[in-house]
Amino acid sequence: MKTRHWTLLVIILALAVLLAPGSRALAQKPIIIGCPLSTAYVYGWDAERAVTLAVEEINAKGGVKVGGQMRPFKIEVLDTRDLEPGVPVSEALLAVEKLILDKKAKFLIGGPVRSEAALAAMPLISKYKVVTIVTTGVLSPKYHAMVAKKYDKYKYCFRIHGEAKWLIKEILTCLLEIKQKYGLDKVFIMVQDVAHARTAGKILKKVAAKKGFDITGLEIYPTGTTDFSMGLVKAKKTGSQILSLWMDMPESAILLKQWYDMKIPALPFGSTLAAAEQPGFWKATGGKGAYCLANVVNAGNAPSEATPWTMKFYNAYAKRWGVPPEGLGCSSSYMAVYVLKDAIERAGSLDPDKVVAAMEKTDIMGVYGRLRFDPKSHQVIPSFDPKDGAVGSIVQWQDGKRVVVFPKSIAKGQIELPPWMKK
Amino acid sequence: MDILIYGTINSVSLALYALGFALVYGTSRLPNFAHGALYVLAGFITWSFLNSLGLPYPLAIVLAILVTGVIGALIYQFILVRVRGMEISEIIASYALGLAILEGLRWGGFKGMSYTLPVFIEGSFSVAGISVDYQRLLVVVIGAAVVALLWLFTHFTRIGLALRGMAQDERAAMMLGIDSDRMAVVAMGFGSGLAALAAILLLPLGNIVVESGYNILILAIAVCIVGGLGSWMGAVLAAFLIGFAQILTVVYLGTHYQMVVALLAIILTLILKPSGLFGRQKELEERV
Repeated sequence: MKTRHWTLLVIILALAVLLAPGSRALAQKPIIIGCPLSTAYVYGWDAERAVTLAVEEINAKGGVKVGGQMRPFKIEVLDTRDLEPGVPVSEALLAVEKLILDKKAKFLIGGPVRSEAALAAMPLISKYKVVTIVTTGVLSPKYHAMVAKKYDKYKYCFRIHGEAKWLIKEILTCLLEIKQKYGLDKVFIMVQDVAHARTAGKILKKVAAKKGFDITGLEIYPTGTTDFSMGLVKAKKTGSQILSLWMDMPESAILLKQWYDMKIPALPFGSTLAAAEQPGFWKATGGKGAYCLANVVNAGNAPSEATPWTMKFYNAYAKRWGVPPEGLGCSSSYMAVYVLKDAIERAGSLDPDKVVAAMEKTDIMGVYGRLRFDPKSHQVIPSFDPKDGAVGSIVQWQDGKRVVVFPKSIAKGQIELPPWMKK
Repeated sequence: MDILIYGTINSVSLALYALGFALVYGTSRLPNFAHGALYVLAGFITWSFLNSLGLPYPLAIVLAILVTGVIGALIYQFILVRVRGMEISEIIASYALGLAILEGLRWGGFKGMSYTLPVFIEGSFSVAGISVDYQRLLVVVIGAAVVALLWLFTHFTRIGLALRGMAQDERAAMMLGIDSDRMAVVAMGFGSGLAALAAILLLPLGNIVVESGYNILILAIAVCIVGGLGSWMGAVLAAFLIGFAQILTVVYLGTHYQMVVALLAIILTLILKPSGLFGRQKELEERV
């Protein structure tokens, strides 16, 4: 008698699980999102974590509605290794192709992370007509310029985070604020020898000079450089007051430690400065990263209240992974999944051309502001105000915390100078 | 003055990277391509002793050097001994081991930029208006002490003399009762210990990242080729040549040519004097 009761109970429970709305979605064939990411680096694993978080949230609520059916997302991650020094671009292309052909990815979110690899992957993406949203790294303006130039070929490519030209505009506006407040106008540029950083360095040099800044030098460092002393000595000798850093290599931490030890009287201002973006930076440098400014590209990668969703995401990420959002690829990778879900549901289909058309009409309030794509270039529309567009974040390390200091609309504190720079 | 100061620091750093590699090759003709991996491994071992086990820093340092030394000795005893004398196999086996160590560390979660070691002494001082931190001063002082101690060790101790005997003529040394394999184990142990010492001195200047293992190996090989494979005094001289050449390149040509210097030095050495500056044995072979 007892056995019968137990059998009945098990059957009822099994039926309940199978008939629940969420599980019905899970029973459907999943929509595979391929994530080509350089997983050994922060710009890779942070994106993977953010995509995972978004997929878990969406699947928990029943999945994506496609033509009247609820279907779950499933992610497939492959390591592109494109951020590792010396690894050829072809490795990343192999990963992209494997995701499409072998893992049957319908969509790609994430990378390749390095601009060179992402640009090389564009013809492959158009060949297979896979809607792709790059969310981390890939700062080269050439990416969206290529979409605009050959729309019919590259229309499947979207970028949901800020690109180098916009970052320069943000940096320049922030530099003007620093100039106005502290009178610092001598800028020494130190960049890594990679496409986006070289381009950004050259553009910054040109544009900043036009805005009245004195550019005291532009140094290009090969990936893997471990000694920056001579560059810093040069910066000091030229009376530089700001160090503009464009480096995503881990060795940039050496640069900041050297800057602190040598007490260089110039404020370090980093873009894609991966080392300084991570929450563990303070501990890793023993506090020597104090006062360092870092552009974390989009709001949500550091605590702010850009939109009601910002801190919700920030806290959810911290709870899920035991660490706050770690690099510039977090909030954008997270939002890319929601934007894709929204586009698929509006398109009512997984057909790439229909999804592209729907993506072009995207208009949602996300973690880092209003998200819309330029219909010609498929670049997310940026703004200094989260109500108008995707808003960035520049943080400064103050007392062991990343404090958002720019733009004003979401700032949580003021820019401070190190004691050896105070007059 | 800045060229002199930072040229010296850079040169001593290069010498520290290369000494272990030079010692192993010099005494047992074994190209240890796992050298860079052992350097990184030593960094993570020290970090783990310090942060996971909570050991005091000096104890963590001593233990890390010992453990890395033992790992090096075991690598020879259980793996490299089987391919001893087959140069290509030695290179492939040791490189594969290096890869396994580095990728194993990454697989084990040692990735990212948040692993670092504390400096020995905080603060900096100024020489002729050029600011230098105490850790870099220690690198130079300890680097010089290591070279001096290595010289004393190889000239005045039984093991050191046996190692030199092996380096000069392995067969003659064996005829005098020196155990070739035992000496190779000792050399690998010492070489790995030296890699660990370099890591402990230099890693507090930055952070411990897996990828640096490959760079360290390239720099160590460049220094040894220029200095003459097998000659550790040649390696020290080559470290100064390459070290100053790098700094002068940064000052007069541009920072982005800095990494080319070491590779160019290898190419030039192989074209002009394949035996390197002090590679006597190879030079004899070349003459023949």
